[in-house]
Amino acid sequence: MADKRKRRRPDLSSDDDGEVHIPFKNRLKPDAAIIKTLEGITASLRSSSSSSSKTLTLNDLSLANACREVTDLSLASVQCSIESLVLSIARSILAGEGFSFSVPSRGAANQLYVPELDRIVLKDKSSLRPYANISTVRKTSITTRILQLVHQLCLKNIHVTKRDLFYTDVKLFQDQTQSDTVLDDVSCMLGCTRSSLNVIAAEKGVVVGRLIFSDNGDMIDCTKMGMGGKAIPPNIDRVGDMQSDALFILLVEKDAAYIRLAEDRFYNRFPCIIVTAKGQPDVATRLFLRKMKMELKLPVLALMDSDPYGLKILSVYGCGSKNMSYDSANLTTPDIKWLGIRPSDLDKYKIPEQCRLPMTEQDIKTGKDLLEEDFVKKNPGWVEELTLMVKTKKKAEIQALSSFGFQYLSEVYLPLKLQQQDWL
Amino acid sequence: MEIGGSSESPSEAKKSKAKTPRKPKESSSSLKQKSPAEFFAENKNIAGFDNPGKSLYTTVRELVENSLDSAESISELPVVEITIEEIGKSKFNSMIGLVDRERIDEALYDDYETEKAREKRLAKEARAQEIQAKNISLGKKVKEPQSARAIKGRVLSGTKYGLKQTRGKFGLGAKMALIWSKMSTGLPIEISSSMKGQNYLSFCRLDIDIHRNIPHVHAHEKRDNKERWHGAEIQVVIEGNWTTYRSKILHYMRQMAVISPYAQFLFKFVSDASDKTVTIRFARRTDVMPPVPLETKHHPSSVDLLLIKRLIAETSKQNLLQFLQHEFVNIGKSYADRLIGEMGPNFSPKMAVKSLTSQQIVRIHQLFRQAKFDDPSGDCLSPAGEYNLRLGIIKELHPDMVATYSGSAQVFEGHPFIVEAGVSVGGKDVKQGLNIFRFANRIPLLFEQGADVVTRTALKRINWSNYKINQTQDKIGVFVSIVSTKIPFKGTGKEYIGDDITEIASAVKCCVQLKSKIVKKMQAREQQERKRNLSKYIPDVTGAVYDVLKGMAQLHASKKKRFEAEDAELLGKVSARVVTKETLMEKLAQYVEQVDYEMALEYATQSGVSEEPRESIFLQSLEAEDQYVDLHNPIFVFRLFR
Repeated sequence: MADKRKRRRPDLSSDDDGEVHIPFKNRLKPDAAIIKTLEGITASLRSSSSSSSKTLTLNDLSLANACREVTDLSLASVQCSIESLVLSIARSILAGEGFSFSVPSRGAANQLYVPELDRIVLKDKSSLRPYANISTVRKTSITTRILQLVHQLCLKNIHVTKRDLFYTDVKLFQDQTQSDTVLDDVSCMLGCTRSSLNVIAAEKGVVVGRLIFSDNGDMIDCTKMGMGGKAIPPNIDRVGDMQSDALFILLVEKDAAYIRLAEDRFYNRFPCIIVTAKGQPDVATRLFLRKMKMELKLPVLALMDSDPYGLKILSVYGCGSKNMSYDSANLTTPDIKWLGIRPSDLDKYKIPEQCRLPMTEQDIKTGKDLLEEDFVKKNPGWVEELTLMVKTKKKAEIQALSSFGFQYLSEVYLPLKLQQQDWL
Repeated sequence: MEIGGSSESPSEAKKSKAKTPRKPKESSSSLKQKSPAEFFAENKNIAGFDNPGKSLYTTVRELVENSLDSAESISELPVVEITIEEIGKSKFNSMIGLVDRERIDEALYDDYETEKAREKRLAKEARAQEIQAKNISLGKKVKEPQSARAIKGRVLSGTKYGLKQTRGKFGLGAKMALIWSKMSTGLPIEISSSMKGQNYLSFCRLDIDIHRNIPHVHAHEKRDNKERWHGAEIQVVIEGNWTTYRSKILHYMRQMAVISPYAQFLFKFVSDASDKTVTIRFARRTDVMPPVPLETKHHPSSVDLLLIKRLIAETSKQNLLQFLQHEFVNIGKSYADRLIGEMGPNFSPKMAVKSLTSQQIVRIHQLFRQAKFDDPSGDCLSPAGEYNLRLGIIKELHPDMVATYSGSAQVFEGHPFIVEAGVSVGGKDVKQGLNIFRFANRIPLLFEQGADVVTRTALKRINWSNYKINQTQDKIGVFVSIVSTKIPFKGTGKEYIGDDITEIASAVKCCVQLKSKIVKKMQAREQQERKRNLSKYIPDVTGAVYDVLKGMAQLHASKKKRFEAEDAELLGKVSARVVTKETLMEKLAQYVEQVDYEMALEYATQSGVSEEPRESIFLQSLEAEDQYVDLHNPIFVFRLFR
């Protein structure tokens, strides 16, 4: 690690006598000083988290509303619940009474943000899905079919992707969103996580940096995965033995910034783990991030676009999505810090006007809606930033920093942010 | 291939590559006035003559609209025949008496690649048949052949020049076609016309003198009319391009047929290549015609300074009070008095209106802008009518379902307007998704659809799923017809209505009133299709259930997994094939049958027998002899058919 940093030095010094003036470069302290402060923060986080023995769960709180949460179930118990469900359906049909499912409602009205847990949970409202009703007959049929397919998976003990599942009966499902939605309904109905159904999503997230873990028995060293990094495995149950000497986890919204950081080997300059899900995070990335946070006890710093969607994505990592709120206990990572690019950074780092984009009407509406969300309200700093964004009506992507040079992000912006501990 | 030349002597026509006939260059040094005809000759794109294809389209539509106007103005049911005949180069040259010379140096010619741009002959007949009324002649073109010349041959002197709902765009219409024919082929137009009962045809061949803006008559004669044909026929030879605008022209005809189901259209395209020939007939489906739009006086909030001056110059009224009272709508005597009082001390009710100074007129104008007036009534408008719109949609699209709506008159800048709308689902020759049909003053608008208020409303402001309509998969037809004394067109082409006029946008949106109708219809449709839709999934569901049962039965039989009591009993039946997929299917089908019966019963008791007002259907015996007695009354006429 030390020798690597030495290797970088000449580059830096050559920049320093540089003909090009890079803003704020001179304010940077030496890397060692920054790392020292980071070490302090990580250590204090570790000690505090070890003292607070156990994370809160729903059961610890006595909430007025009953809430629905799912757990990881073994394959055998999934199979059992499907079988008893199907038996009751068959009996109902044979009795000449048709049949219906009672499906937990996953609509916005049935969501509840619990500030103590800092995540969204599902209330216990459910709706009846009868077969003999013109508005539900399609969904009921799809639900039955999905149950049968999952039952097959249980019998054979294999994993398939959501796409596979869709293609087993394209004629019925029509498009993948329909089978995907029902799949979530089914896991909600059976009270298990989606991974327990043995259905996985295609790999989307990637990780690079100072992390070693085992994937299905193979040890993976994420510093030696080349530039692209390691794809985050879809089955989190096969991941284990995480080890790291990183000081923090850097969560990046988009691929472009991730590639920049990976190529510059930012994790060697400041020991860290860099993760991205390339936009809206999938289940695997969220599970993986949570696992890292829980096992390694590192602070998570998020690098997002300065627009409402950046914050929205951040909220999905932090508090969960409404679509998957039934499993928010496993999917959310608490205590993610918003590092940048924040609306106030636009002026602070003198990002030129031509790199800022005017927000569209839709953007502004999304921003205002976000201001009403509980997970934003609980953090006064975020409210302030978001209010600023809606007021100035300007947004900027991470790439806006490239106006000072492609490597400005990794060489000046991030180190400076870390040095100032400028996160919310 | 452009042919320009002096029209008087077509035999002298020369081949020239200039787009327009040669402009007079001799007077370039002196200041000279442009005639309106010259102006339009140089700015063809404003009137829709940008290129040969568009020119053909515009010529067709202007002539069709003219003939509809003529027939409607005399309350005749229109019969319009359009024939476009393709004339190849050599045939054209022989027509104008030019020897078709072989090209020696191919590179000399501009049109080397574009052989397709060929001349079209456009013959159009507007004939009114089966005329019952006797006292009326057949429209302006026929009534006095003398005036026909004056109108056709002079630009900007249309007969449509009052405040009135009109089809035409600039009061130009066919005259532009005339200029275009002169510019592109140099051949004069031919008009023959005859009134009913006339034993002669009046035939006229004329073209326009572009510089002097007067018609130039080549021939004007009476011809025999042995067949007792009546109507008007115009023949014009222009340069056009059928290939590029074929679909636009056909769309136009179809939409015209939708909005005017009382007219009969026969469209023909004749070409030397027989496979390109097209013949389409749009049959008449009703004899109910919209009323002729009435000419109305100006509304005070719609007039501008120039218009006030013109009205003052033309008025027969002596004093200011009478002028205000009689030359505008919605100003009564007492209101006129109040207005004059408000104008200031320099005004008095008895002052001579012609003596008003410019400043005083400005003051009147200002007051008109600021004062409050009652909205103009929509009585002077002639909307297509809900009945006709509906009939037109059914006739041309054969939809599964149609709902129509007619709004009340509303006002924009002192001009009344009425919005009518229709929504259809399904049908023949309709593509999936939204099909938008726009009509302004009962003519279809085909171009610049994207920015139009109707398109934007339909795409963005209406949530189709509220109507249980799938915006991408259902075949939806949206028909919006706006009539007004002044349509607030945007753009030079006058092809769309701006989205920024909130009055119109909200009126269009108001067609949400269709909602209850649509939902009702959809419910009725659901009733019919419920059983089919419910039964559709029976095999899927029972297959899935049976598959799981079978798997369990096997586990049970092989003792890998134990099931208890009644579960075991059921699985035993599955193993013994007492319960099979067919059993499940049968039971579920029975259940669906039962549910369907119950729901149908419920629907019937809820909605009652007459769920919506009955609509009268007009059945017309087209060919039968008319035998009836009219019972007249000042308000209505009873017609007793025998």
